[in-house]
Amino acid sequence: MAMAAEQWVLVEMVQALYEAPAYHLILEGILILWIIRLVFSKTYKLQERSDLTAKEKEELIEEWQPEPLVPPVSKNHPALNYSIVSGPPTHNIVVNGKECINFASFNFLGLLANPRVKAAALASLKKYGVGTCGPRGFYGTFDVHLDLEERLAKFMRTEEAIIYSYGFSTIASAIPAYSKRGDIVFVDSAACFAIQKGLQASRSDIKLFKHNDVADLERLLKEQEIEDQKNPRKARVTRRFIVVEGLYMNTGTVCPLPELVKLKYKYKARIFLEESLSFGVLGEHGRGVTEHYGISIDDIDLISANMENALASVGGFCCGRSFVVDHQRLSGQGYCFSASLPPLLAAAAIEALNIMEEKPGIFAVLKKKCQHIHKSLQGISGLKVVGESLSPALHLQLEESTGSREKDVQQLQEIIIHCMNKGIALTQARYLDKEEKCLPPPSIRIVVTVEQTEEELERAVSTIREAAQAVLL
Amino acid sequence: MNVGVAHSEVNPNTHVMNSRGMWLAYALGAGLLHIVLLSIPFFSAPVAWTLMNIIHNLGMCVFLHAVKGTPFETPDQSGTRLLTHREQLDYGVQFTSSQKFFTISPIILYFLASFYAKYDPTHFILNTTFLLSILIPKMPQHVRIFGINKY
Repeated sequence: MAMAAEQWVLVEMVQALYEAPAYHLILEGILILWIIRLVFSKTYKLQERSDLTAKEKEELIEEWQPEPLVPPVSKNHPALNYSIVSGPPTHNIVVNGKECINFASFNFLGLLANPRVKAAALASLKKYGVGTCGPRGFYGTFDVHLDLEERLAKFMRTEEAIIYSYGFSTIASAIPAYSKRGDIVFVDSAACFAIQKGLQASRSDIKLFKHNDVADLERLLKEQEIEDQKNPRKARVTRRFIVVEGLYMNTGTVCPLPELVKLKYKYKARIFLEESLSFGVLGEHGRGVTEHYGISIDDIDLISANMENALASVGGFCCGRSFVVDHQRLSGQGYCFSASLPPLLAAAAIEALNIMEEKPGIFAVLKKKCQHIHKSLQGISGLKVVGESLSPALHLQLEESTGSREKDVQQLQEIIIHCMNKGIALTQARYLDKEEKCLPPPSIRIVVTVEQTEEELERAVSTIREAAQAVLL
Repeated sequence: MNVGVAHSEVNPNTHVMNSRGMWLAYALGAGLLHIVLLSIPFFSAPVAWTLMNIIHNLGMCVFLHAVKGTPFETPDQSGTRLLTHREQLDYGVQFTSSQKFFTISPIILYFLASFYAKYDPTHFILNTTFLLSILIPKMPQHVRIFGINKY
């Protein structure tokens, strides 16, 4: 019965085919032709590359002059004549065999040679060994890492923190994890090299605004707003970020965070704050520039810092809201694809945090010393102080440049050698000249730590003054 | 490229339709949908075929031409954020075999649906509109008509 019914239906179908309307059959004919055309068409790329003729290729090959594998470099290049430090770079540092007072290492809180920190690191070394031999996802997560992340989150009063094993790659991985092609980043022109590399890796549109100039940033944000109104659908899918440093390494100034937060809410951008120099320095308890200004930590979307300065460890961390920081656990390239922080360094960082929490008085001491040296360094003939009075890393630039950067660098180097002979270890601020976006002028970077006594500060100031007079006049 | 194999492709969406067994799986899935529709008792054969045509074309429209970007993060910093799956296939090379297969399959379904509907005018209108709606986005250019779905 079912077979007969099916056959009956089939006969009716074929009959209907013969009685089909003409337009339908014409349409089906066109479709069959289209199928044949599709099946026999060749694959091709949408954008055609221009093909060169053989003759043009030969011409191009003949014209090409290979550059030398190693470009010619002068013998006096600073990277070829470096000073050698024997022993730890603590308060008294032995440079090239000569004992000096250290005004060059970023050891702000003096935790580098702290016996408690060293004991914690040694205990951890005995327990875990030296390295982790694996990234966080492949058996490289130890309890000290999780402890350190918890402690940092609690210290900074955020929901979560994430640890990186190398300070440079912290901000250089954090920025490309959130900002992609088509997004817009407004960044200060004095941003450090790590931020610049992070921005380059993110492939976003970068807009530089003048250093610490909120009016310039507002102008750029307004221009972007006008563009957005022309194309609101595109604006809805572009993300906007503002990347600033808390305490700038290149200029020693503090960013105007309250105004930036106001701009953030007005123009709907997200703020990424890089606190490498200000963590453990600014603020009543060392929590950084947010505590310094009294701004709620929830207003800042991501805080990134490296632990290589005040905490005297290695590596870096990012902290913020849970759902922001969690994203980096899978998208932070430096987190997923690098070995994790050695446990002894994590234990050292935890102990350093303990010390910071037990003795919050050191931040006021450091601040006083910074103000002292800032005042004393004013008025040195030939050198001008660049940096705020509460910045522990100041720059001394030549008041009048000779016109060529090499000669400036040489003069500053002579001042440094002069000071080194008198027992004060200083260094110049070094940059990759060709790679920086806005190359700062050459300068001597002076670092103030809590371990330096008042008389040592005075001695340093007078040595620099004598050296400047001897070299520059 | 097979599923579950280590590869160095930046965007797996580009070659998923070329992977082994994908065409067969798609054909079987379409067959399963048709059997489900046919087993509903009060749909006659023409209605079931037309419904099949409509649902299949709608589904293809959504997954290949409406949804943009990738459901996973790609190492190229979201270069394909604004591209539909069809535009991502084979990194923008046109007229590859899987593209041809997926363009021809709705046409085959249309032929079958019109045959089983005995070339009825109502069914014809429905089937043809949906066929055109799926064939127009399959043109080999990265154009957005009327700016639909551009961002």
